[in-house]
Amino acid sequence: MSGNADKALNILKSLPRVCLGNIRDNPGSRLGTKRGRGQHGGDKHGDGNKGSGQRQNFMRIGYETGNTPFYMRFKKEEYYKGHHLKRQYPPLSLLNLQKFIDLNRIDASKPIDLVSIVNTGLFNISIDQKHFGINLTDEGADIFEAKLNIEVQWASELVIAAVERAGGTITTAYYDPDSLRAMVNTKKFFERGTPIPKRMMPPPDAIEYYTSASCRGYLADPEKISEERLVLAQKYGYQLPKIEESSEYEMLAQRKDPRQIFYGLNPGWVVNLRDKVVLKPKDEELLEYYAS
Amino acid sequence: MLAKRLFPACTRIPYVIQKIGQIRESSFKSSLFLEDISPKPREYEVTKNPVDWDYVQRLLPNTVVPEPVKKDKYPSGWKPQAENLSELPYFVQRTRNHMIPCYLRISHLKTRRTTLLKNIKGDIWLLEKEIKDFLRPQNYQPIRSQVNEFAGFIRINGDHVNAIKYFLENKGM
Repeated sequence: MSGNADKALNILKSLPRVCLGNIRDNPGSRLGTKRGRGQHGGDKHGDGNKGSGQRQNFMRIGYETGNTPFYMRFKKEEYYKGHHLKRQYPPLSLLNLQKFIDLNRIDASKPIDLVSIVNTGLFNISIDQKHFGINLTDEGADIFEAKLNIEVQWASELVIAAVERAGGTITTAYYDPDSLRAMVNTKKFFERGTPIPKRMMPPPDAIEYYTSASCRGYLADPEKISEERLVLAQKYGYQLPKIEESSEYEMLAQRKDPRQIFYGLNPGWVVNLRDKVVLKPKDEELLEYYAS
Repeated sequence: MLAKRLFPACTRIPYVIQKIGQIRESSFKSSLFLEDISPKPREYEVTKNPVDWDYVQRLLPNTVVPEPVKKDKYPSGWKPQAENLSELPYFVQRTRNHMIPCYLRISHLKTRRTTLLKNIKGDIWLLEKEIKDFLRPQNYQPIRSQVNEFAGFIRINGDHVNAIKYFLENKGM
């Protein structure tokens, strides 16, 4: 072969190959659509005659300007039927919980419950939207290291494992809307001057969850819970830290009474923030009502 | 008939007098209660126990954001601001929640994404240049940005929130 052909071949070898990634039209071969004015095609420009489309109000996805939309044309299974009546548990991730502790927004040396999480000002629930408390989610389960005693309203198995691997304890507890109203804004509640309400028992469809030891329900048998702790440690393959030997055992073992909504304060008591006194009922009838 | 002629106003009973004799039987309140349900005076004991009050104070929210405590390790990935930043020509002040003030702003029917970095002090032009130099290798398109020296913010076209946070954390901001 001649020298020139060799050179040309060498150049071709070093040049980029033609592939889908680098082919394109010749310059000027495609003309964009023109939006003509007046007699040069200036009429509706594809936006139709009158209505939602012409007024460019950017209708919702699937809306067909007056036709029955495709997604409503056929029968369907009502997956969300009755969603407005179901209990909702807004999520809080383990990552965010760890961040609250890192940033000193929550004191992990004391038992954590809905009140201390709402008091950070970084999480809130709206009771009128059927929110019944926190769903602790598993995002950040791998990095979670805080040793704490936490009470949430819903938790998955992985979340329970992550908290217990770090040497903490977790409980799932039910609060009725009336108790929640006292918990989400404690200052306002105390200023109202009403007695601390008695916590109601969970509704029938929630009884199973809150009495089950594998869900760490607050109505479950403590003996069974300690058994389930070991079962979970074996399932996820971690060494279960012995909380009995921990220096914070007293804090980690602290639990509320099933009728109690605040740590250390009994239902029926009235807190007076101005005089800094606590009023406790002496009436027999009241004591009988508030007894757990 | 005579009375009607003498006092024509008497023939029509005023509305107010009509209302007095009315009983609304449709309401549950119209039937009597079986027992007296008016509030009884209840006996209460007023106590001033410091242990109880400690539990009450635990329930009250903080009025200010607490300062973070110095720890060896922050597992969540949050980093405190370094202390010797006075030598750098620029400074980005943390928010009241101790976070980097870098946000994603979405506008124009969710089609436009811009990154906003606020609370900048010092040489804002140098910071803009360094951020653009940092972002350039990762981005195919040229990076457009706006600097507001007076308000102390930089706005960059596109979503670069995590990249800018990473850049500033490495600088100790």
